[in-house]
Order: sequence, then structure tokens, then C-alpha cells
Amino acid sequence: MHPLLTVFLIFGIPAGLALGWVFLRGSESLRRYILTRIAHTVPMVLIQISIVFFVLRVMPGDVVSSTLGPKASDAARENIMEALGLDDPLIVQYFKFLGDVVTFDLGDSFIGARRPITDELGERLPATLELIIPAAIVALGTGLLFGTYAAIRRKRTADYSLRLYSVIVYSMPIFWLGLLLRLVFSVWLDWTPIAGRIDVVTNTTLERTTNLLLVDSIITGNWAAMRSVLHHMILPAMTLGLVLSGVFIRLTRINVIETLQEDYVISARARGIRERVVTYSYALKNAMIPVVTVIGLQVAILLAGAVLTETVFNWPGMGRYLIERISSRDFQAVQSTVAVFALFVAMISLAVDVIYSVLDPRVKY
Amino acid sequence: MRRTRLSWRIIALLGALALVAAACGGDDSGDDTTTTTAAPAATTTTAAPSDTTTTTEAMMDDRTIIIGTTDTVSSLDSADAYATADWELIKAFNEPLLRFQPGSNSVLEPGIASLPVASDDGLSWEVTLRDGLVFGDGLELTVEMAVAQLNRLMDTDLQASAPNQVGNTLAIPYVESIEAVGDDTIRFNLLGPAGFFPQILAGAPYTIAHPDYFALDEMNLLPTAPIYGLGPWTITEITAAEQTVLEPNPFYTGSYPARVDRIIVQRFANPSAMADAVREGEIDVAWRILGAEAADDLKSVDGLTVETIPQAPIRYLIVNHADGFVTADPLVRQALAAAIDRDELSDVVFGGAVTPLLSPVPPGFLGANEAFEDAYQAPNLDLAVQLLTDAGYSESNKLQLDLGYPPEHYGVTTADGVLLVAQQWEATGLIEVNAIAQEWSTYVSNCTNGDTYPVCVLGWFFDFPDAENYLQPFIEGDGLGTMVLCPNDSCGEGVTATGIDPLLGQLLLDQRAETDLDKRAELIGQLQDVYADEVVTIPLWLEPEFIIYRDGIVGDSSLPNPQTLNIGPDFEFIYSVLDITG
Repeated sequence: MHPLLTVFLIFGIPAGLALGWVFLRGSESLRRYILTRIAHTVPMVLIQISIVFFVLRVMPGDVVSSTLGPKASDAARENIMEALGLDDPLIVQYFKFLGDVVTFDLGDSFIGARRPITDELGERLPATLELIIPAAIVALGTGLLFGTYAAIRRKRTADYSLRLYSVIVYSMPIFWLGLLLRLVFSVWLDWTPIAGRIDVVTNTTLERTTNLLLVDSIITGNWAAMRSVLHHMILPAMTLGLVLSGVFIRLTRINVIETLQEDYVISARARGIRERVVTYSYALKNAMIPVVTVIGLQVAILLAGAVLTETVFNWPGMGRYLIERISSRDFQAVQSTVAVFALFVAMISLAVDVIYSVLDPRVKY
Repeated sequence: MRRTRLSWRIIALLGALALVAAACGGDDSGDDTTTTTAAPAATTTTAAPSDTTTTTEAMMDDRTIIIGTTDTVSSLDSADAYATADWELIKAFNEPLLRFQPGSNSVLEPGIASLPVASDDGLSWEVTLRDGLVFGDGLELTVEMAVAQLNRLMDTDLQASAPNQVGNTLAIPYVESIEAVGDDTIRFNLLGPAGFFPQILAGAPYTIAHPDYFALDEMNLLPTAPIYGLGPWTITEITAAEQTVLEPNPFYTGSYPARVDRIIVQRFANPSAMADAVREGEIDVAWRILGAEAADDLKSVDGLTVETIPQAPIRYLIVNHADGFVTADPLVRQALAAAIDRDELSDVVFGGAVTPLLSPVPPGFLGANEAFEDAYQAPNLDLAVQLLTDAGYSESNKLQLDLGYPPEHYGVTTADGVLLVAQQWEATGLIEVNAIAQEWSTYVSNCTNGDTYPVCVLGWFFDFPDAENYLQPFIEGDGLGTMVLCPNDSCGEGVTATGIDPLLGQLLLDQRAETDLDKRAELIGQLQDVYADEVVTIPLWLEPEFIIYRDGIVGDSSLPNPQTLNIGPDFEFIYSVLDITG
């Protein structure tokens, strides 16, 4: 089975089942909302990839020169242009491209080995997922924990320190933080690997099915590979996650403070419920609702941050792939990658809105 | 209820701690990579699940060398591949007809065939295949198979379908036909005499691709592993963006069999990660492309050896000879050549790490001289000012010159070097330079189309190690933007543009046809003198490359340049010379 399809099934089936459950159990307005959002995804992705299509083709520079270099003859250039369909009128190229998108034919890369883009994404997308999911866990976990603590220690040293910390990490350039963490933990302390998803030699023992190395190592029982993957995941996930945690810290703090002042919280305290239960079971749960909304917005930033993180840590993901292909004017690869990104963000955004309505029954669409 | 909630929290906490402990207790053999890694349980790419608990321990006894590089693999089809990294891998799993002795770029040796014999008229060359040639999967090579595979280079339709079309550069311009003679001899019938043709046969295009992977009528740029050839290695695993794994070919009978159990070529997105990886022992060798600064930093690290490879890649300025450009005036071109201070470039920008290039042909190649030094004794500001004055320029009427460069493609140091050149020109007081930075994809076509820049910078690495390849591309055709021989679309072999010394084109043809090395060297010397006089291009410096390796990794001490792991001026990294000591 193609790794891309496997990944789609791994995430898509549970998500689809959950969405289906919500769809069936939810209100009429929620069902209408879900259908409308799904319908909106199509033109949204179409507009995005159309913009990318035309911008790439009007940008200066050409894929032929960047591929063949200065030595290529005119005949060679013409042959390449014809083979890639770049000598057709722009409007012909566009409608051919739309037709390919509708039939899920992502085409072949223009450069290098001209591999099918689905094969290249099948290698790259799982790598990016294996970066952004742990990063999201780090961001959320750190954000919720520190944000709640700052709220309950309001106007004390801990609160001020954590608020300062949140501003510092959020304003820190991701690549700079990555380089710094790599210098400290990989070079000076030698606690973590320098780069990559897995140890070089261990990689040769791992049978890849999904290209999600953690999943593959568990499926095959290759515990050495699993340990190596987790070990390699620490710094990249921390880099990306810590930067985003700044937002969640501040948001959680504000919402927990507000929630702690609500009547039901005051009455819970009056009934003698312990403060820890009041904070985490009452206040935090309800404070989570706006945080969930922000998660959807932060996904796009996660993907953007992944580009830099992947470069610093030699992580062979889609972000790095996109940068390489933009530099080479590989239109096909860039368009396909942007389409996948757009679809991904749209799906996460929809999921967030649905979760929001589940968490807060008062919400009606 | 409370107890259940508490139980779940404890379980979650224990689970998280287990993950962290597992991660931190990572069994990365990369922590002690240098020499002690074990043979995997099987030679295939994966281990059976039941073996995994012992695989890592077993791996610790394996003789594996990990080579880091920032190069990417784009084509392993010998009828297409044109990049240095691709040729390096192809020559690992497949041996060319001829080869250069590792560590040298001048000593030709038999590869899978004998040294070639030329006919009296120099129009054909014959090589004889070695006995007992067998591909890594046991397929025996026949001369008919070899000729058929080589003719993929001559197939214009096949070449037209390829991204790199190496046949259009290294076969079709020189070869008329390739045929089998008898049971083991291949004859190359040339279009014209070419004394350097044996050097071309030592290139990756002249390897015999396996017919099951590389069909006669279609390209296969990146076959799935295992990839078998006639060379000392078999590619057992390849992920283009990550790593390539090579293991010894048991059927190899050539002169350079593998000396270790496995080579892993690990790809890095950026040089700094590769530098840190070799520093920390996650890789054993760092090769291409580390800058001078990074290499310098690593010199102080214990356990690492940093060596500079004798240079072959060059940096030079394309000078546009076409009408309508200020550089069409030979006085202007000569003034630009006279004003450049190459020693200052080397010292200020590269800390002395580069070698000034005083002729289009680098030192060590047949016929190389110091033509630009002889002509201009640069830096010679007085001469430059005189030439510009004679051309009609003055302090009130300065020469306005656009200078194009790519700020990143060749690294920051090349960009700095170009800007320093601009300053040196402006030091004449009669030139105002407009330095224009452009991203590579845009820049390369602008620089080579002859329509945009009067002067721009490019780098060059030879296709075959001969002076011809440092001269012909800049003279014939559109000369990569020099427009020397066809400034008005009048391209043709030997056609000389108006105003250009007609000797230029004629000498190029004469040296190409000459098979006597001494006479050829003399012709090449004359050609360089005319080249410098006409300022076809302006050579700047030889770009160094660095090899960094950990203690315990050695090359072959019986071959040239063992200190650079037998990488010579041709930049060929022959993996089979590598060994592990201790």
C-alpha cells in the first residue's frame, strides 16, 4: 500500500468516524455547518493552488536553467520544455493542471529524478506529521500547564516569570532557537542527536510501511528503532513546540483567570471542593474552549515553522521539500505541496470547529 | 470515581515517563560511530522483527563507514546523469570502461576495459573488455550488451526525454557510432580526432548500465534498490532525500574491491548540521559541501582530520563580447582583467584558502600556463587606467558596468569575492559598478544567454579532466554567454566573430585533433595566450573543497593523496579505498 494512502487511513479513519458520530448525534444546524464547511474547502483549495500556479509562472527564472545549468544547449532546453508541457499556452497549462487535480493526479516532479510527486509526498508528509504532532503536544502541554500555573499564581513571581517567558519564546526565531538547542543539548551536553529522524545505521534495519517511523518501528517490533526515533524527535519537537507554547500560555492564563472568577467556581469553593479540583476540573476545562479555537489557527503556523525546523535538524519533511522546489521552480511539486498543506489546514480547522461545538453545547452554527 | 481518575493520571504519567526514558536511553550507534558498527542480521535492507533485539548489538561489530554530504541524488542512469554526486554513486556501483587512479586525475587505468588504442588517423578508438565481467546479481556481461547500453548515449530520442541529456554533451558531439568487434572489443568511431577521448571514457556516462534496470528505450533515473552494476558496490537501499546504503558486490573482479562491509551516504539539508554531525561522531566523513569557515572550525576538534582537496572547480567572470555591451570593446575587457587583484581576493575573502587562477586552464592540466599573469601582471592599475583612457573613458565619463552575481548559490564567500572585484575595478577611478544580485534560477539563464549582463560570475567543474573542457565551452557555440564566436546567432564550429583573433577558433580545433601530447600542450599554451589577450573570460580563483574524517578512517596509502582519502583534483571519491583501522 502506498505510504501516502496508509497515512491517510491512519488519520483519516478515526477522524472520519469521529466526524460521522458528531454528524449523526449533532443538531440539524451542526450538520448543515459541517456540510457547508466541507463544501467551502473545495473552492478554498482551488483558489490557493490557482494563485500559486500563476505566481510561479510569472516569477523570473525558469525550471530548465535551474535544472540543466549553464551548460545546456538550446535544443536540450526546448526538449525539456516540451516534455514538461511548459511550451503550451498558459491557459492550456492551467486547465490541464485543474484536470489533473480533480483526478488526484499530482504528476511528476520537474527536476531531479522526475519522480511521481505522490511518491515524494509519501516520504515527506509522514516526516512532517511526525514533527508537528509531537510539537503540538509540546506546545499544548507546556502552554496549558504553565498558563494554568501562572493563573493560579497571579501577580506573583511565577506569574511574571511565565509571562515573560511566553513573550520571549514566541518572539524567538524558530531557526535560532533550534540552532541554540542543538548547540547546547547535542554539541555541548551530547544528550541528543544532531539531526535526522533516526540513527543512520538503525535506519537500515527499519522496515518502512507508513514512513511514520514511530508507527513502523512499533508495528515491526523494532524497539531499537523506536528508541532512536523518539530520541531524534526531542529537539525538533521542542523547538517548534516551545515557540508556539507562548501563545497557549498567555491564552490559557487569561481564560483560567476569568473562569476562576465565575460564580460556579466560587460556589464550588464554597461547597468545600479542593482548590486543585476547582482549578483543573472546573476552571481549566471551561477555559480550554477558546484555546481549542486557537489550535486551529496555530496549525498553519506549525506548518510554517516546520519549514525552518526541518532545515535546522535535517528533517526530510514537506517544509524542506517545498523550499527546495520553489528554488528550482519545480511548479508541479510546489502546487501539489501547497494543495496538501491547504487541505490539511482546512481539515484541522473544520475539526477544531466541530470539537468546539461538542465541548460547548451552547454553541450553535 | 476519584480513584479511577487518579489511576488514569498515574497511568498517563507513567506512560509519559516511559516514553521520555525510552527516548533518552536511545541506543543510537551514532554516539560511537567511528568504526564499530556491526553487520546486520541480513544483507537485505531490513531485519526480521525477531532479530531486532540483537540487531543493534550485532551492528556494533560491523565495519560501516557513514559519509555525510549535502549533495542530493537526482539521477543514477548513466545515460543521463550529469551531477558530481550522481557520478560518484554511479562509479561506486558501476565501473566505467576506464578510470583514473584514485587520488590522481592524470593517470588513466583500465576499468572494465583495457586502455584504448587509437587508429592511425585518430578517428576510432578500441577498448577490450575484461574477462569474467558479471553484474552484482550474477548476470554475465556480453560485448553486445555493453554496446547496446552505451548506445543509449547516442540515442537522440532517448536523450531528448532525459532531464540532463549527458549524451548530448559527452557522446554525440564526439562519437559517430559505437560497435562491437569480435567477442570482447568495443570500437568508438569518432566524428573527428580527439586526443582527450580516453579521458571521456573514464566518466560515469561510459559505465555499462544493467539492462534489467535501464532499458534501451527509456530512462530510469532512480531505480528501486537493489541496484546492481559491475562496480565494487551494490546499492542495497536508497531514499533520495535521506540516505544510500552500499554493500560489497561479490562478483566484482576489478582493482579496487570494497575494504569495509558497508558504506552509508547520509544526506544533510545544510552544511552546519553536517559539520556538527561529524564533530559529534554521528558520521565518519563529511564531504561536499563545507565552506572554508566551517572546515576551519573543525580543525581544532580532537579526533578529526581536515584536509583540502587539490582544486579543480573554478570561479570566473563571463565577459560578454556581443555588440551593444561595453565589454565588446577589447580595451575595456583588458582593463577589467588588469585591475583584478587575485591575491587580495584570496586573503581578504578566503583567508588565503583559495588559489588565484591565472589562466582558464587550472594548474596540473596539460598545457596549463599563467596567461593572464603574463599578459597583465595584475593588479596593474596603471595599465587598467591607460586602457580605459584609450577607450574613451575618464573621471567625468566613467565606464558604467553591470555585474551580475548569485548571492547564495556558490555561497556567501563567492558573493563577497565578486563584490571585492567590483571595488577593485572602481579603484581605477574610471569605472562605476552596479552589482546586481539575483536568485540562481533567474540568474543562470540571464548570465548565459548573452542578452543581459556585460559581466557575471559562474563556477565551472570539468566534465572530463582535460584542458579542452576548460576552453571549448567558452569559445564555441554561444560560449555560455561570452558570445565570442556567435554574437549574432552565427554559431558554428570554428566560426570566429568579427574582431576576435581568428586564431582562437583555429587553435581550439587544432589542439583537439592533435594526438602528440607535447604538441598538443604547446597548442593549448598558445590558445591560452590568445584567450587572455582577447579576455574571453576572466579566471578568478580555484575553489577549494574540504574532506573531514574521524580518526580510524583511512584511504589507501599506496595511492596518491592518502591524506585526502585518495580524492585528487578530479574530486572523485572512490569509496572502495576506504578502510577502518583500530
